[in-house]
Amino acid sequence: MSRGVLAVGAYAPASRVPAAAFEDAWGRFDAPGVETTAVPDADEDALTMSVEAARRALSAADADGATLDALAFATTTPPLAEEDLTPRLGSYLGAPADVAGRTYGGHTRAGVDALLDALGREGTALVVAADCPAGEPDDPREHAAGAGAAALLVGPDAPATVVETAAATDPRPGTRFRRAGDDRLDGLDAGRYDRAAFVEPVEAAVDGLDDADVDAVAVQAPDGRLPYRADIDDEAVAAVETVSELGDTAAASVPLGLARAFEAGHERTLAVGWGSGAGAVAARIEGAAPVEASLSADRELDYAAYLRRRGDVVGDVPDGGAAHVSVPSWRRSLASRHRHEAGRCPDCGAVAFPPAGACPDCRSPADFEPVEPARTGTVEAATTIGEGGAPPEFAATQARQGAFGVAIVAFDAGNEAVSVPVQVVGEAAVGDRVRAVPRRIYVEEGVPRYGLKALPVGD
Amino acid sequence: MRDAYVVGAGQSAYGSFPDESYRSLFRTAVEAAVDSVDHGIDLGAVDEAYVGTLGVGGRQIGLSAPAVTEHVGLDGTPATRVENACAASGYAVRQAVMAVRSGMADVVLAGGVEVMTDLSGDTVRYWLGVSGETEWERLSGTTFAGVYAQMASAHMREHGTTTDQLSAVAVKNHDNGARNPKAQLDFTCTLEEATAAPTVADPLTLYHCCPTTDGAAAVLVASEDVVDDYAADPVRVAGVGAAADRVGLFRRDSYTSIPASRRAADAAYDAAGVGPADLDFAEVHDCFAIAELLAYEDLRFCERGAAGPYVESGATEPDGELPVNTSGGLKSKGHPIGATGAGQVVEAFDQLTGRAGDRGLEAPAVGLTHNVGGSGGAAVVHVLEREDRRRAGP
Repeated sequence: MSRGVLAVGAYAPASRVPAAAFEDAWGRFDAPGVETTAVPDADEDALTMSVEAARRALSAADADGATLDALAFATTTPPLAEEDLTPRLGSYLGAPADVAGRTYGGHTRAGVDALLDALGREGTALVVAADCPAGEPDDPREHAAGAGAAALLVGPDAPATVVETAAATDPRPGTRFRRAGDDRLDGLDAGRYDRAAFVEPVEAAVDGLDDADVDAVAVQAPDGRLPYRADIDDEAVAAVETVSELGDTAAASVPLGLARAFEAGHERTLAVGWGSGAGAVAARIEGAAPVEASLSADRELDYAAYLRRRGDVVGDVPDGGAAHVSVPSWRRSLASRHRHEAGRCPDCGAVAFPPAGACPDCRSPADFEPVEPARTGTVEAATTIGEGGAPPEFAATQARQGAFGVAIVAFDAGNEAVSVPVQVVGEAAVGDRVRAVPRRIYVEEGVPRYGLKALPVGD
Repeated sequence: MRDAYVVGAGQSAYGSFPDESYRSLFRTAVEAAVDSVDHGIDLGAVDEAYVGTLGVGGRQIGLSAPAVTEHVGLDGTPATRVENACAASGYAVRQAVMAVRSGMADVVLAGGVEVMTDLSGDTVRYWLGVSGETEWERLSGTTFAGVYAQMASAHMREHGTTTDQLSAVAVKNHDNGARNPKAQLDFTCTLEEATAAPTVADPLTLYHCCPTTDGAAAVLVASEDVVDDYAADPVRVAGVGAAADRVGLFRRDSYTSIPASRRAADAAYDAAGVGPADLDFAEVHDCFAIAELLAYEDLRFCERGAAGPYVESGATEPDGELPVNTSGGLKSKGHPIGATGAGQVVEAFDQLTGRAGDRGLEAPAVGLTHNVGGSGGAAVVHVLEREDRRRAGP
């Protein structure tokens, strides 16, 4: 077997808003073929979703972040317009310091581009595509806007390989764009012109392949109708589409379709990425890689809750100031923020969190040896911070997301356990089991700070 | 080592006073303390001043002690701010005792002040969080109430403590505060009202939480060499104990106890040569109802885990075996952070010298004050006594 996809991870936020909610609110719904869309929590973004997907891809391959040679991050909605986010992604995954970071963006084909580039290079690469597009509340692109992430681990001796590719471009400005400095998608909605901008490059790319006889087609899906406008096998598209359930996942759209295809055991799959501008690339894949996916929903939002989540009906950050931790101080703790890294005292063997200062057991000024605790732990103490009760630095998140729990959670670490104060995604009670999940903690001085929160996982 | 005595103590009313400033409140407290000195005192006799304040609102973070002592004419006297969160002025009193005992001062002013009610809700929430462990605990999104609620959750789980037992603390302290003209919340409440009140941080309801408060308190501490110049009925500082602990709850050995309180109390009892059975009353740090229950256990009024049944037994009512928070406590009297510890000593002084009016106990001889900073990162305990009454006792 040659170089290809070793494993895939997929993740989508657990909340859904149904098309009916838009119809009730607006009297219409402008994203044909979309039944529900995935809605990120207020503290989720492309980076946190990429960590979720990446963790699952590594798990599906039984691999470790430390083995990565390259890390590619593809998104049209980076939490920062400029700054390489692959170092923080790598930190979450425990990637080595010499990992080669690549960032792709600017159009929805970015995920497929990143995958094809990684296939063309040496070593083990993790390609992560994550997206959460947004538009104005009455814009068709907002009605379609979903969220999700997929990560593909690429390396030698892979069960799924790309056997041929073809590309096509056609200058078609204005069909889907975002102005510099704006976080909302726009488009001219020029009917036939828009359709042609999608259909013609897609068909041209597929036509460029020697053989397009496949069981499944993971094709870019800006909404639930456009993919079927192209002259490709509708059933093969429908077999692996995610847009009807997750909405438009932009750069993650085709990678998520590949996850679906591999999960279903399809051995002949087409990946067709499209980006506005416009250009398309088609890749024919043989074989299937193992998949670990969390794409299911666990709650449905009404339209008011959806608007709150999007921040559309929430005011600015309140006065009062935020708890200040300087960025350099924050950086010192990144291993603990991203992986709950604790430390073993070399003198007495006790495990401390955070791994700094005197040993809590023997009081010696310890030079702690790193210990990485389990990701699942047990709540030792808990309460819920009700609506309106959050400290100022969490007020905006609470306005969007609602009440949240705060807990002290014991995580196994070596022969002991460490106790970590964590925010709960939702609520938890003493004795509950929770999993540490990547979330944005807060934004201070314009710099998003990421860490781990606790997601209840039942017994 | 010289003995130290409280020869005067006074406080402003606690409440919300938009027409006052932190300086005018401090002045009111100092004047009340001066007025309480049996034989009178000229403030010029003060050798040293310690002022507890957190500085809520940021109104005068630097040089906040001289900023208030100049307002009472002590601009030439050394003045030092003492900051240990909610235990600031409990520690200021301790500093005063240390200064007197060391021989460096004969008369020391120890006080505290805080203004908390002239700020927006968000600003108050910011300031209420500054005494938690910032990097991890606060950034888990918790509040001051949230940390105590976590302790309550653990205490309930470990010992079966109930919401009604938390409410019993509120009912008692409101009853007491309603008899204290200086108290912020002068109304009573029922167990049902306390339990059914809106949740602040589960399991704590509004009635399980102290208010935010403007207020000041001042204590005059004198050496045994000069005590008779000032006091007819001197109140001796029989014992002082203090302890620090890890600031973040998650770093501590126990969530169902405040180890600093336990160590501070044991040291104070030891120094005073008394035990909890010798106390006639106590002012304990009840910023949240669970905090008073923890205090019962940490100060050894009852066994570990038994605080719930203990409060329900009525033992800490004014007519019980050990009246607790006759002032109304932080719950009802109010909690102007930097003033609270000195304010507890004011109540102890008033009780021991027959100044407590309607809520006065029958000739008490020994009282205890217990002041906690944050969720237990600092604690200080004073045992105060009327030597004449102890010696006259059985």
